[in-house]
Amino acid sequence: MTGKKSSGFSVEGVDYEKTGGITGPESDNSKANRKKIEKLLLAATLAATLVLPIVVVSPTYLHIIILILFYAYLTSCWNMVGGFAGVLPLGHSVFIGCGAYTSTILSLQYGLSPWLGMIIGGILATFIGVLIALPTFKLRGAYFALATIAFAEGIRVMIENIDYLGPFNLNGPRGLQIPPLNTGFTSFMFETKEPYYYIILVMLIAILTLTWFISRSKLGFYLSAGGEEPEAAMALGVNVTRAKLTAMAMSSFFTALAGTFYAQFSLFIHPKSIISLDLSFEIAFIALIGGRGSIAGPVLGALLLRPVSDFSRIYFGDVLPGLHLVIFGGVLILVMIYQPRGIQEPLTRVYKRVVDRLAGISVDEPGKKVGKSKEATA
Amino acid sequence: MLYFLEDTINGILMGSIYGLTALGLTIIFGVLKVINFAHGSLLMVGMYLAYWAVALTGVHPYLSLVVVIPVMFIFGYYLQDIVIKPIFKAERNVREPITVIIVTTGVWYILDNLTLLVFGPQYRVINDNPLRGKMVEIGEMLISVPKIWGCVTAVITAVLIYYFFQYTRLGRAIRATSLDRDAASLAGINQYKIYNIAFGIGTAVSGIAAVTLVPFYNTYPTVGVLFDIKGFIIVVLGGLGSITGAILGGMIVGIIESVGPQFMTATWTEAIVYGLFLLVLFIKPSGLFGVKYDW
Repeated sequence: MTGKKSSGFSVEGVDYEKTGGITGPESDNSKANRKKIEKLLLAATLAATLVLPIVVVSPTYLHIIILILFYAYLTSCWNMVGGFAGVLPLGHSVFIGCGAYTSTILSLQYGLSPWLGMIIGGILATFIGVLIALPTFKLRGAYFALATIAFAEGIRVMIENIDYLGPFNLNGPRGLQIPPLNTGFTSFMFETKEPYYYIILVMLIAILTLTWFISRSKLGFYLSAGGEEPEAAMALGVNVTRAKLTAMAMSSFFTALAGTFYAQFSLFIHPKSIISLDLSFEIAFIALIGGRGSIAGPVLGALLLRPVSDFSRIYFGDVLPGLHLVIFGGVLILVMIYQPRGIQEPLTRVYKRVVDRLAGISVDEPGKKVGKSKEATA
Repeated sequence: MLYFLEDTINGILMGSIYGLTALGLTIIFGVLKVINFAHGSLLMVGMYLAYWAVALTGVHPYLSLVVVIPVMFIFGYYLQDIVIKPIFKAERNVREPITVIIVTTGVWYILDNLTLLVFGPQYRVINDNPLRGKMVEIGEMLISVPKIWGCVTAVITAVLIYYFFQYTRLGRAIRATSLDRDAASLAGINQYKIYNIAFGIGTAVSGIAAVTLVPFYNTYPTVGVLFDIKGFIIVVLGGLGSITGAILGGMIVGIIESVGPQFMTATWTEAIVYGLFLLVLFIKPSGLFGVKYDW
């Protein structure tokens, strides 16, 4: 991995997996011990997330938590392209819009269950993603970012101007409203927030597991190689373009699933808010602050940034509008200057140290910080 | 036919102002090889400066240039010096400094939302200025006077910048840095200082663009976003780093926007502009008028 230090964007997870830890040589005994502790911590975090809605009774707080998971999920999807492949896509909201519109139109006009619409939307988004990616992956750096912005904005303008696309009623700039008529699992509509919480939790765990598999797979290595030194990777016989296209296809598919979730969660979709530049940028911000190209980064970024945004909107929304975005921008600049690999790096270090201490001395009760960075090694 | 001509002329006038807003972006890219995402926000800052200068003193809008140009230059100079330079130093060996793009995005968010915090979301217009709403009748066509002023300013600025880069010592140093930063350093040019100056010039040019906009445009915290995206499109159309390309690219966008509504819904023209942008990006990434080292 040449130029790793200077680029600041290498695949952190891969690195650690390969070397098996950052501390020097150690006995098999303590290694096994650490594995056990890591598994225990993972199980504890999982259990904690499962019982969370029982502890958190306030719907407002649960709403905020759901949004944290939602953004962590979206960012993890983005991370497949933006993190592993080392490019900067800034138009991912197009896929969210694709998923949301597909499932909503199919359920409103044809009575199809949003669960089915979710899959169809995902497949459609995959096509759009590959179609966008085919020409844009030839562009480099800033040009790539600009092209993805142009695609997303162009598609938003088109949707805003189209009322009927063939037989489908897009309703132009007014957006689509989902009447909350029949609640239940098949209609993907619930009276309380708890089911939404569990759905997005399962989605997040699934995407994290998938990202973990990718980061250890051939594809993951191809992607990081192609992202860092495309010429060198191609010279070694790596089909960089194909690896990137695969990543893009997966990323757009899973992003679209989140679109359906969002549509069913908020019951209202609107082109200006769902295919917006702001949303695309926010996803990229969370990934960059959390740690681009790492598995834990998106979760940590969402855990840090979403509450800032929600609470400042709740408490200072009237007097200090836009405060959370000033904080976003400030955190972004500081992280980029002082921690170019995101906040996951120092947190992973802390986590490793805690696990080592636990493995070395005694099994203690896990602290809060440990739970937070559990996916770092997952 | 007359409408068509009138729209074309208005499109060219407005387009040259668009070109002027993109000129700063192209200058900064030309030297630093960085797309400055905070560009629209710098324009917005310039508009607020010009607005307050005119609103408080009641002078002719173009007189505010006396304040706006130096203030914006200093602002840009130190923004680059304090915020962006550390990244450059850390990433000296990276060919495409994506991190810088991200940092400028952070600057964009901070500037826009600080303005929102301080000045509130309302639209600000200078009502009693000698240019607002003025029209001149040529034949049977109505042409907006502040846009003529803007167009003339844009052309003068572009010419001045061109001559500055071409014939002054500092301009040559900037061009040398833009061509090869390492070779320029070896020749005794302090490249970081040049970056600061180039960023300052780009910001000052945005200030000039802001002054041309203030007489007929609303000033509000997110006004920059509009010109941000448009600026990217224009500089890519014209060729990143090219001064004439920026003005001509601006005119193309201006003409599409003003003539387009004759044939379709006005909002569709936006989609056409994005389409044209992508087409140029894929077919001729160096832009329509971009020579590799135009200056």
